[in-house]
Amino acid sequence: MKSLDPRVNRLPVVGTAGNIIPKAALDQFGTFEVFVQPKEGKPFQHEGAVHAPDLEMAYVLAKETFTRRFTCTSLYVTDTRDVHISPTTEGSQNVYTLIEEPVTQNNTKSSFEIYHLLKRGKQHQHIGTVEASTPEEAMFIAKQQFNNDKMVYNVWAIRTSTIRFTTPEEKDLWNTLPEKKFRDASDYKGGDKLKLFLERQS
Amino acid sequence: MDAIKELLYKIADDQLILGHRNSEWTGFGPLLEEDIAFSSMAQDKVGQSYALYQILQQLGEQAPDTVAFMRNANQFHNCILVELPNGEYDFSLIRHFLFDTAEALRFEMLAQSSFQPLAELARKIKGELLYHTLHANTFIKKLGTATEESITRLQQSLEFTLPYALGIFEESPFEGELIDKGIFEGEKVLKEKWILKVEAVIQQTNLHLPDWHIVTPVTGGRNGQHTEHLQPLLDEMSEVFRIDPAAEW
Repeated sequence: MKSLDPRVNRLPVVGTAGNIIPKAALDQFGTFEVFVQPKEGKPFQHEGAVHAPDLEMAYVLAKETFTRRFTCTSLYVTDTRDVHISPTTEGSQNVYTLIEEPVTQNNTKSSFEIYHLLKRGKQHQHIGTVEASTPEEAMFIAKQQFNNDKMVYNVWAIRTSTIRFTTPEEKDLWNTLPEKKFRDASDYKGGDKLKLFLERQS
Repeated sequence: MDAIKELLYKIADDQLILGHRNSEWTGFGPLLEEDIAFSSMAQDKVGQSYALYQILQQLGEQAPDTVAFMRNANQFHNCILVELPNGEYDFSLIRHFLFDTAEALRFEMLAQSSFQPLAELARKIKGELLYHTLHANTFIKKLGTATEESITRLQQSLEFTLPYALGIFEESPFEGELIDKGIFEGEKVLKEKWILKVEAVIQQTNLHLPDWHIVTPVTGGRNGQHTEHLQPLLDEMSEVFRIDPAAEW
């Protein structure tokens, strides 16, 4: 039986003279990007990434990794490789000044989700959905539809069909979350208890 | 009233003991994300047992902490399945799948119970149980079709665990009363629903189930007859509480 222990499988195989081969890829999980809606009516925002062997496992693992505290109403995941990113700008340069009309376009349109980075170091936020044939075209349409007076430093475009969304039945997943105060360190009021203890000691 | 109490105790004790067992994986999970997920679900189980012990307190039993930490092994009503030591992760995953499938179905049935506190709790924790079964089913389907090692390991654990899993459905002396009063449809109905669900998931994998007729259930847990593994678990779980039962946390 082939071991699942990576330390065993990565040991070099004993070979013969003149046998030169390309290095094999490591047998590791890919990454998936996680987006969370903290409250009903609020936009989805990027929270981070999880490691997983496929999209469905990524959804299952993302749920506890990113939404085990505080409030959440919905969550979705997509393969990191399905996120198309624009160049990044800074200072007073809006990223949309760098996005021009793509030259070649085919006619098969699909739906893309568009995300804005409004402050460097913050999270990307969902801004809307467009119909386009390529990610480049999606960003160009986003420039026409979503580029208002706010400064945007980076744009993401994700094909809607590549996203594992929360189904209506799965909305129940976070029902009891607001009650789980035991996951909030501040709820234990450690400082107050220490103060009382010290007062009793003196 | 004895019938309701017996029902509440066995469900609560199952959740508390398995919650504690699964929490023993915290920090040792196979990958970071799964360590967090499995620990969270363990915490959910302990929380569900707490809610049930609170209902018991309203029916005149002792406070939840006293009930959880001051009883001896022979006073616990959990099935043997949940007290078995962890061993390898394949066993814990199979136990999680077989137990949580039954637990989700049990609460689905209890959502219609004529005993209102239990029906309300069942509706409230529906989302938690949905996640537990989604997690279990996704892992079993993935690992049950992945590699020779993962399939072999799950198959061995499945065969080892099934007799204990059937012990979940050990009938109580009050089955008739619970059914007649519309409190709970009974272990027989639950077991039939469970078999269908388990088969539906296993059929999507390279795993196979033995003929149910040749699997002999391991029973006794519901009557307080436990393995040698339960008392050490209780000793460890209650160690801090017993130092100072009146302490405020």
